[in-house]
Amino acid sequence: MRKTQQHPLEKILEKRIAIIDGAMGTTIRTYGMTEKDIRGERFANSTKDLLNNGDLFSLTQPKMICDIHRRFLEAGADIIETNTFGATSITQSEFFVDDPREHGGRKDPEFYQKIIEDSMLSGLAWEINEQSAKQCREWADRVANETGRQRFVAGAIGPLTVSLSNSPDADDAGFRVVTFDQVLTAYKEQVRGLIAGGSDLLLVETIFDSLNAKAALVAIREVFDEDKVTLPVSISAAVGRGGETLISAQTTEAFWNAVKHVKPLSVGLNCSLGPDLMYPFLSELSEKADVAVSAYPNAGLPNPLSDTGFDLGPEDMARFLGGFAKDGLINIAGGCCGNTPEHIAAIAKALEGVAPREIVRDEVAA
Amino acid sequence: MGHPKPVKPLRLSGSQPFTQQIGVYMMIGERTNVAGSPKFAKLVKEGKYEEAVSVARQQVENGANVIDICMDEGMIDGVAAMTRYLQLLASEPEVAKAPFMVDSSKWEVIEAGLKCLQGKGIVNSISLKEGEEVFRQRARAVLKYGAAVVVMAFDENGQAATYDEKIRICERAYRILVDEVGFPPEDIIFDPNILTVATGMEEHNNYAVDFIEATRWIKHNLPHAKVSGGVSNISFSFRGNNKVREAMHSAFLFHAIAAGMDMGIVNAGMLEVYEEIEPELKLLVEDVLLNRRPDATERLVDFGEALKLAGPTSQKRDVGHPELWRSGTVEERLSHALVKGIDTYIDVDTEEARTKLGRPLLVIEGPLMAGMSVVGDLFGAGKMFLPQVVKSARVMKKAVAYLTPFMEAEKAAQLAAGEEVKAQGKIVLATVKGDVHDIGKNIVGVVLACNNYEVIDMGVMVAAEKILERAKEVRADIIGLSGLITPSLDEMVHVAKEMERQNFRVPLLIGGATTSRAHTAVKIAPYYSQPVVHVLDASRAVPVTTSLLSEDGKDEFVAQHRAEYEAVRKQHSAPKLSVLPLEDARARRTPIKFLLEDLAVPGEYGIKVMEDFPLKTLREFIDWSPFFHTWGLKGLYPRILDDEKQGAEARKLFADGQKLLDRIVKEKLITARGVYGLFRANAVGDDVELYTDETRGEVVEKFHFLRQQVGRDGDKPCRSLADFIAPRETRLQDSIGAFAVTAGIGVHELCEKFRKENDDYNAIMTEALADRLAEAFAECLHKHVRNVWGYGRDEKLTPQELIAEGYRGIRPAPGYPGCPDHTEKGTIWRLLDVEAATGMKITESFAMWPGSSVSGIYFAHPQARYFSLGKIGKDQVEDYAQRKGWSVEETERWLGPNLNY
Repeated sequence: MRKTQQHPLEKILEKRIAIIDGAMGTTIRTYGMTEKDIRGERFANSTKDLLNNGDLFSLTQPKMICDIHRRFLEAGADIIETNTFGATSITQSEFFVDDPREHGGRKDPEFYQKIIEDSMLSGLAWEINEQSAKQCREWADRVANETGRQRFVAGAIGPLTVSLSNSPDADDAGFRVVTFDQVLTAYKEQVRGLIAGGSDLLLVETIFDSLNAKAALVAIREVFDEDKVTLPVSISAAVGRGGETLISAQTTEAFWNAVKHVKPLSVGLNCSLGPDLMYPFLSELSEKADVAVSAYPNAGLPNPLSDTGFDLGPEDMARFLGGFAKDGLINIAGGCCGNTPEHIAAIAKALEGVAPREIVRDEVAA
Repeated sequence: MGHPKPVKPLRLSGSQPFTQQIGVYMMIGERTNVAGSPKFAKLVKEGKYEEAVSVARQQVENGANVIDICMDEGMIDGVAAMTRYLQLLASEPEVAKAPFMVDSSKWEVIEAGLKCLQGKGIVNSISLKEGEEVFRQRARAVLKYGAAVVVMAFDENGQAATYDEKIRICERAYRILVDEVGFPPEDIIFDPNILTVATGMEEHNNYAVDFIEATRWIKHNLPHAKVSGGVSNISFSFRGNNKVREAMHSAFLFHAIAAGMDMGIVNAGMLEVYEEIEPELKLLVEDVLLNRRPDATERLVDFGEALKLAGPTSQKRDVGHPELWRSGTVEERLSHALVKGIDTYIDVDTEEARTKLGRPLLVIEGPLMAGMSVVGDLFGAGKMFLPQVVKSARVMKKAVAYLTPFMEAEKAAQLAAGEEVKAQGKIVLATVKGDVHDIGKNIVGVVLACNNYEVIDMGVMVAAEKILERAKEVRADIIGLSGLITPSLDEMVHVAKEMERQNFRVPLLIGGATTSRAHTAVKIAPYYSQPVVHVLDASRAVPVTTSLLSEDGKDEFVAQHRAEYEAVRKQHSAPKLSVLPLEDARARRTPIKFLLEDLAVPGEYGIKVMEDFPLKTLREFIDWSPFFHTWGLKGLYPRILDDEKQGAEARKLFADGQKLLDRIVKEKLITARGVYGLFRANAVGDDVELYTDETRGEVVEKFHFLRQQVGRDGDKPCRSLADFIAPRETRLQDSIGAFAVTAGIGVHELCEKFRKENDDYNAIMTEALADRLAEAFAECLHKHVRNVWGYGRDEKLTPQELIAEGYRGIRPAPGYPGCPDHTEKGTIWRLLDVEAATGMKITESFAMWPGSSVSGIYFAHPQARYFSLGKIGKDQVEDYAQRKGWSVEETERWLGPNLNY
């Protein structure tokens, strides 16, 4: 089980702060795409609105998506994320299957069992993951060749639209809409698609429910074991004012204890309530974790009245992340919701030449 | 082969982290084990899971570090019971904090348990019983789920009984786990089998010693590994004789812990305190445990029989603490129960409240809703988490359920009397078209349903027509829209417009991560003539809904709500002033060229206290104009005395004031006290550092100042009070001062006295005069300080000229326009130790007590002047937050009126 050689990204994280890209959704919205554009011919007859199913753009508007990847890479991102935040059969089902609640029914494990077994949905999920990873691969390598700097593709694994920790039934706190095994199945499909498309690492992100994240991590382990592959894994949680995962309310250190066994490449925080409210918890994580630490917060709090929909502009984000770096908290920096390529460029500029957090590993005993 | 590295502690987690303290025995709660607790087994078998949950809660309350959960019983479906129970515990925030030990001899039950743990738990147990392959497989699975593991000292040949077998098997298991599986050694917990001693079989006599010595060996030779065991096994021979058993347990633990045992499973009620074991019993017990003499067992058995004959001496220890919160009022108790999510007494308390208030609805709208508001406040402040809010709502549901029959009866009576009956409120909830996110909305649904509302949840991606159609069909009382992503905001506007077009009359609630009060007020509310209310989070849903559906409270709520949103809209449409970036503002500081001759050097630095300052002196420094303003007369003294309209009134007031002041001065009814200090200081950026001595090396305090940033057109300077102190880089030795004075001591008593005599006029007069005296004190002290500072000695100013502030230097006060941050008063208080010197206090909100007090900061530079800060930009707020060591949010709270955004 001993690692024979260090992953190139791991080496980078010890030498400098690596930059991860910004928000796909926010940036997509600046292209003014319409419902017609996302549907293309392929989904022209879909019954539900698809415009906010941003992952589909990787299939129907690959040029735009690749343009965004390119812009993030040119802004200085070392790592770009695949456009696959919702690319699981479970999340896709929301856009393609009637919600039983509209007719007085409910969502429960029986409903999700059908989703898991729906070949259209799992085929679609596979396709998005594979295609998006391929697109990222292509652009990461192109820009790497042009600039002489290696770039990496992170297969993005989002939190799902269902929670394994929470009961939506007022009469039964023990009820769950979905089972662990169903979530596991959906995640395994996603992981395989991401790997097939050429991802360099897997990123379980925006974790607001730690049990969902655990299912994703178990899925990754099982795929690694069954398919005889291994990639670095990064983990990133979304926390609230008390530093707790937003839905399952697990505090930062408790969360780290629960995922440490994965020996991730990095652990960190993203999304959440913006950089300033994240600081104390990032600092706690930085103190406890013996692996690289990442931070890619939202551009402040959502502010529908501002142009980007968020409070902070590129310079603001650069200042905050510069502060994180100065205090020795991070090895990976970037942005989540509200961060455009301009934000990432400002962050990359601010962190140039700033020393990364020192990674002190718990030595393997015995 | 001992190793010098410190032992890594076992780290676990539920929703909270748990780190083992090396050397401190870990408590494992074992009452949630069907094998160990018949009571728990019965609850599970009867499907009474809620009560079963309370067993776990008690374990946590009694201090268990880890909760052992075992469902191994012939009549129980282990997988189903384990899953259901753990999912219920996950919704019980007080229990979910703790790590869980998933305990079963069946692997499928263990795996089912692991699939329910968001934290890092412990698997109990795996072993080599079925060979290395199965062992490896299971260990890998445990690692995959991220749990620690208990390894029983079993192998293919069975249980390890002797020392040699124990260490051989444990070492073999350890090597496989660490070298082959890659299991973290600190997460391996060996259970080297605690076996029963004193059975009468000679080969059993050394079992305790074997365990203890095996423990010692493991701790020395298998780095970081932990040791656990089931303690009550040791004493099975003495079943029925608790006194002996308790003594055996604690004596055994005493020796095993000394050898390195980290944790164990033992009923805390079956444990004597080691030091309190009777000496004779202790000797006999230890003889048995440590196998010290061949007849040890017989001797202990005899002693045990004698004890039994002497009758039951072992008293049930009183577990559980008296619950203090039960002694509060019924309102307090209900509030406590909701905040803590305790449903034990909810029926009793609800009944008491019902009897007290008369009607069931009053209980809901009164104390229960008040409790839920507290929950909302705590959640908003980040002091409660979502699962706790949901738990509180579930307790609320129980209270409501208790009240429901009474409400039904009330309804029936009203119907019988021919009155109109209001039905239960109906709320249609939906995530709008285009958006698939609804975990948050589901939580809102649960919370509302728990509060007796009928919730019709339409799910996600619901088009406006469908929402409105359903709302009409079910006659909804309220419609709630949810959305997480930005485009949902436009869809919400669309729904609002449609509601207006279709003449809806019901309120519209807006919620979800990107929504905000400002957006709702500015972009949504204008399109719908009924109330459109932003609901910040699930905890706020109930108070808002209740107000909107309350017969009595609705109008007031709506009026207040409309006024608030109107204010938000006004603020939003107000033209924003142009903000200079902070860096540019700093480049435009007050143009002062610091010259040595402009810097006055005080004759003496340090702090001076003015005890009981003569009121007679202060009287001469009074500025009388504000005295008349207090009474609503506008004009300047002394002209006002001759004013055509107000003159007569003013003269009377003045005469009465003078009369009372005469009395105050003569009888010393008020005491004036003050303190001031002068310090060496230099500006550093927009801060001013105060130094302890002439080396200027050690900073005693810092004042933090803000800089004008907004609306500074042309080349107007952007002033900051820091500009009036020589910057450190000039190497000029500048000074600063601070003061706090009061003329309020005795005022309260005097006012009370007047009020008792029903003389409100003189009570108010007293306060008005005390205010004047305090201001006069500040003026008078400033004069004195200028003399001490040196530059004021040549002043030849009359009191009137003084009042007009025709002198050099200023004394701005924190909380006033130049320096609006009230908390800088805190710095003055620390610097001068104001409270000790004068008895003046500052409250939590940095108001001074008593009233009639003034404090401020002295600047002596000839170009120092008063100015108003005005609005500031976010960059300065962030910069200031950093300087003050606050969060930006906190800074925004203190500087609210000055924010230009």
